[in-house]
Amino acid sequence: MNVGALVRQPLVVALALIVVLLAFGEWLSPGFAAPQQILRLLIVAALLGIVAAGQNLVILGGREGIDLSVGGVVSLSAIVAGNLMSGADSGIPLAILGCVATGALFGLFNGLGVTLLRIPPLVMTLGMLGVLQGLLVVIRQGIPSGRAAPALSQFVSQPFLLGLPGIIWLWIAIGVVMALLLTRTVFGHRVYAIGSNEHAAYMAGVPVRLIRIAIFVLSGVFAAIAGICLLGYSGSSFANVGEQYMLPSIIAVVFGGTPLSGGKGGYTGTMAGAVLLTILQSILTTVHIDESGRQMVFGATLILLMFFYGRGKAMRA
Amino acid sequence: MAGAARTSSGGFRRWMERYPFLPALLILAVLLALNGFYQPRSVSLVGITGLVKTYLALMLLAVAQTYVVYAGDIDLSVGAIVSLVNCVIVVLMQYMGGTAFSALGAIGVGLAVGLACGLVNGLLVATFRLQAIVATFATSIFFTGIALYILPVAGLPAPAAFWRTYGGRFLDIPFVFYVAVVLAVILWAMARTRLVMRLLAVGDDAQRAFQSGLPVTAIRVRGYVMTGLFSALAAFCVTGDTASGDPLVGGKMTLYSVAAVVLGGTALSGGYGTVVGSVFGALIIGLINSLVYFVGTPSEWQNLVQGLAILIALMAGVVVGRRARA
Amino acid sequence: MSKLKLSGVSKAYGATLALRRGDLEVEAGEVHVLIGSNGSGKSTLCKIAAGSVRPDAGEITLDGRPVHISGPQGARALGIGIFYQELSLAAHRTVEENICLTNLPLKAGLFIDRQALSARAARYIALFDGVAGDGFAADATVGDLRADQRQLVEIMKALATEAPILIFDEPTSALDSAQVERFFDILRGLKAEGRAMVFISHRMDEIFSIGDRVTVIRDGETVATSRIADTDQATVIGQMVGEPPARAAQAAPAASAAEEAAGEPVLSVRGLTGPGYSDISFEVRRGEIVGFGGLHGQGQSSVLRAIFGAHPVSAGEVTLKGERLDARSPRAAILHGAAYVSGDRSRDGIIQGRPIIENLTPIHYLRQRLVLARPAALREKARPAVEALHTRFAGYSHPINSLSGGNQQKIVIARWLIDRPDVLLLDDPTKGVDLSAKNDLFSLIRKLAAEGLGIVLYSSEDAELLANADRILVFNGGQVTRELAGDERTRFNLYRAAYEAA
Repeated sequence: MNVGALVRQPLVVALALIVVLLAFGEWLSPGFAAPQQILRLLIVAALLGIVAAGQNLVILGGREGIDLSVGGVVSLSAIVAGNLMSGADSGIPLAILGCVATGALFGLFNGLGVTLLRIPPLVMTLGMLGVLQGLLVVIRQGIPSGRAAPALSQFVSQPFLLGLPGIIWLWIAIGVVMALLLTRTVFGHRVYAIGSNEHAAYMAGVPVRLIRIAIFVLSGVFAAIAGICLLGYSGSSFANVGEQYMLPSIIAVVFGGTPLSGGKGGYTGTMAGAVLLTILQSILTTVHIDESGRQMVFGATLILLMFFYGRGKAMRA
Repeated sequence: MAGAARTSSGGFRRWMERYPFLPALLILAVLLALNGFYQPRSVSLVGITGLVKTYLALMLLAVAQTYVVYAGDIDLSVGAIVSLVNCVIVVLMQYMGGTAFSALGAIGVGLAVGLACGLVNGLLVATFRLQAIVATFATSIFFTGIALYILPVAGLPAPAAFWRTYGGRFLDIPFVFYVAVVLAVILWAMARTRLVMRLLAVGDDAQRAFQSGLPVTAIRVRGYVMTGLFSALAAFCVTGDTASGDPLVGGKMTLYSVAAVVLGGTALSGGYGTVVGSVFGALIIGLINSLVYFVGTPSEWQNLVQGLAILIALMAGVVVGRRARA
Repeated sequence: MSKLKLSGVSKAYGATLALRRGDLEVEAGEVHVLIGSNGSGKSTLCKIAAGSVRPDAGEITLDGRPVHISGPQGARALGIGIFYQELSLAAHRTVEENICLTNLPLKAGLFIDRQALSARAARYIALFDGVAGDGFAADATVGDLRADQRQLVEIMKALATEAPILIFDEPTSALDSAQVERFFDILRGLKAEGRAMVFISHRMDEIFSIGDRVTVIRDGETVATSRIADTDQATVIGQMVGEPPARAAQAAPAASAAEEAAGEPVLSVRGLTGPGYSDISFEVRRGEIVGFGGLHGQGQSSVLRAIFGAHPVSAGEVTLKGERLDARSPRAAILHGAAYVSGDRSRDGIIQGRPIIENLTPIHYLRQRLVLARPAALREKARPAVEALHTRFAGYSHPINSLSGGNQQKIVIARWLIDRPDVLLLDDPTKGVDLSAKNDLFSLIRKLAAEGLGIVLYSSEDAELLANADRILVFNGGQVTRELAGDERTRFNLYRAAYEAA
């Protein structure tokens, strides 16, 4: 493979940019790329990455697939988990069950709206986001805020195996599962098929609606899992913690080489995209510029990076 | 059989094709009636003035969003443009001493800022062919950054001349009504421009528009510029309504502007829709919010009920619109 | 000196060579016919002249001066107008808006001058007064019009450019005879004005009635240009297919000796009716190839899709292997043993950008109800099917787009061969496929028939039907008007049946 083709590989681009940014961060502020710091970055990236897994599936499935409701599900899940476990390890299994069911339920609603009523995903999930935000207000005022169980907090931040905390292992496991799901299962091939040519997929007997519903359900489930982890990371649940994941989860997917038009890309790239985005944000908090400068640099850098990734087709063939 | 069904619904189809906002108008009428039923004062002059005063900004922002949606694009930075213009004009008026002249100057500069923001978005999305959703999200961060640089913390008051005019009356008629009338005239004129027709043709099918010899890229850029300009107008209303500068004031409005466009019967895929519908869409959001309040929903439930009502209205709008045209 | 001259233009899309070498000279005051089979490169040649496709090589001169066509806008500025085969209309705009879209009349430089727009559009609408049909009006929305009416709008839009050079890429394919007559009157008028025109059509009679010169294009190369007066249909057909004219008049070879040996009926269709077709009845036996003939778009595709569950059915029944098959989706049809291959590969067939293996396996997944996709095992399964078609490719993990059109279609067909279907529905399967791939395809199809499959073949190329079908049902206006079997299967009979009352 020549250099030109290599530069067009999104995963390679993302990994190279990660190295460059780490080096840059180290140069700006020595100790930035120290192992402990990198581990901290990876924990934060894992939270974003898990949300992005579901977002990735939705986008891969095409037809302007996008899930704006993930942020709401993350927040809701964090609150549900906090209340169900309320600081006790014994409540963890129930919390996981409750959160996953909640996420799946909202994903199911999204999926049904998008397939049966043929509401554009952007509209459907935008409306669902409003519902989730309203629900959060109700829950916040009705019940006291929950706390993370000690085991959960440990899972997220304390070394678990080979010096890495559990959440990193969980993320790696999700990465492996996603890779297998997309490349080694019929479901994965069908996701790509409906994403790149829905009509041809339909003509070849792919159950298009069912696959699309499943995609949205999975998106809800991944967001719910991220919500539980987020509770473990922050210790207690507070309103709208998940909102910060809505658009970044989409950007992580795009930086990972999955264009918003769907049908191509994969999760490995998205993981790199999540790390890249996290490092970028971290560098900006490290350097001593005020909030305004940080935002300007962040926005400008995002735009700059987008030039590396799938630009639209030119009108003239 | 299909033929018979076609002719009987033909009149309605034609109406829907020409006036895609009919379902929105119906929902609006029902909401107005319900508002009047639960709170008679809400449909009085004072009530309507308050509604228009509060939601004029969202109406304008929904109109702004509509112009890019016409061409099948989207702009997630409209809220950030509102914040930026809000900060720019408040700081500028303060700097220039808060006179009436300073207000006029600030409005001119504000429009230029909106135009520049739209141009940046247009160049990135149309000329450089970045994906609209992520590119305009990135510019929204950038614009917010500039707003924060100009005004790091919220709360700088706008000169009294500005908000007193906005909230005041002329010849016993509230100022916002004049604004609404001027806006209506502008929208009426805009709908007759070549640009709007070309934006709709691009949204219908960009490739075909290109093959027909339309300068597709330039048309899309102009769409973004229009969006920037109308976002600036929305920012003036926000400033008049809140009477202060806030670098984050517009952030929450972006997604509402998209919702209003969809509620108004405009297709997100482009090629079909009206700005009037988007104005109705913004009013529907406003009326849902006030109705939820008037029916006596407990305060903690209000957001949920609003969210559900908007979701249902969105879904119903999409489904009814498609049925009517199919 | 010729008005427009294209010399040695070529265009490739990835591995697919759309146009190998195009030479075309158009004089002022002539109708220059461009003819060639589907996918031979006519449209690409036209689009290069109209600026919507960028040529890889070649030169274009206008009035003897070399020009650079920067795009559709540039082409219009140079005085080239075009009718696009796939139309270039905005579905939500009205007829008059579409006619004037590229050059909207303005007031104050900003606003659309509605009156001028209506007046200008009315001039072109009036040209087709009386033949445009019900519901055609200046303020009708284009998306609501019938196919022939939309085609008329595209004609009006091309005429409204008032360009000295006009290109018409299959402008008559959906028009009725009165509309065609009127259109030809208009063309004759334009000819008298000294306009230079390129005209593409598949209908021989049209070509000979309106053309001055004809250029034949075959497999991406322009092979001959002659004056219409100096040539005849047989010669042109011979040039198109690349064989001497004498053979075209011959009766087709007895396509299969299997006719008597044909087995029990595997597919039977009774009174099938739906949008675009009515009261279709026929039977296909095992080992038999039944051909669908007739002009393009006479309901052949609709019937095939209806059987496959991808097109609405309002009445009638389909029986497959003795069981009622009322497929409401392709999925149901596939599970019952039906297979369907569309000529519109990019729409119905290939899953763009995905590896070849993923394009080979979707039917296998469904019929075997698989959950896991093990690449090695799948490759083993797919290999015989791929080899049967002599498909050439570098590896199963390469994207389908890296293949030529012919090889892509082979992959699409091969996906149906891993688990054998009982009935194979072929909907103009060789559209845009090169000659050698066509040969491979048809030898496979005959082999499959010999192995006991029932096959229905619709082809827009008569030669393919004559050479491969045991019986030919000729479609006209959504109905079967004639059945040709045995010695009746001649090109002459097929033409006559197709053009009867068309």
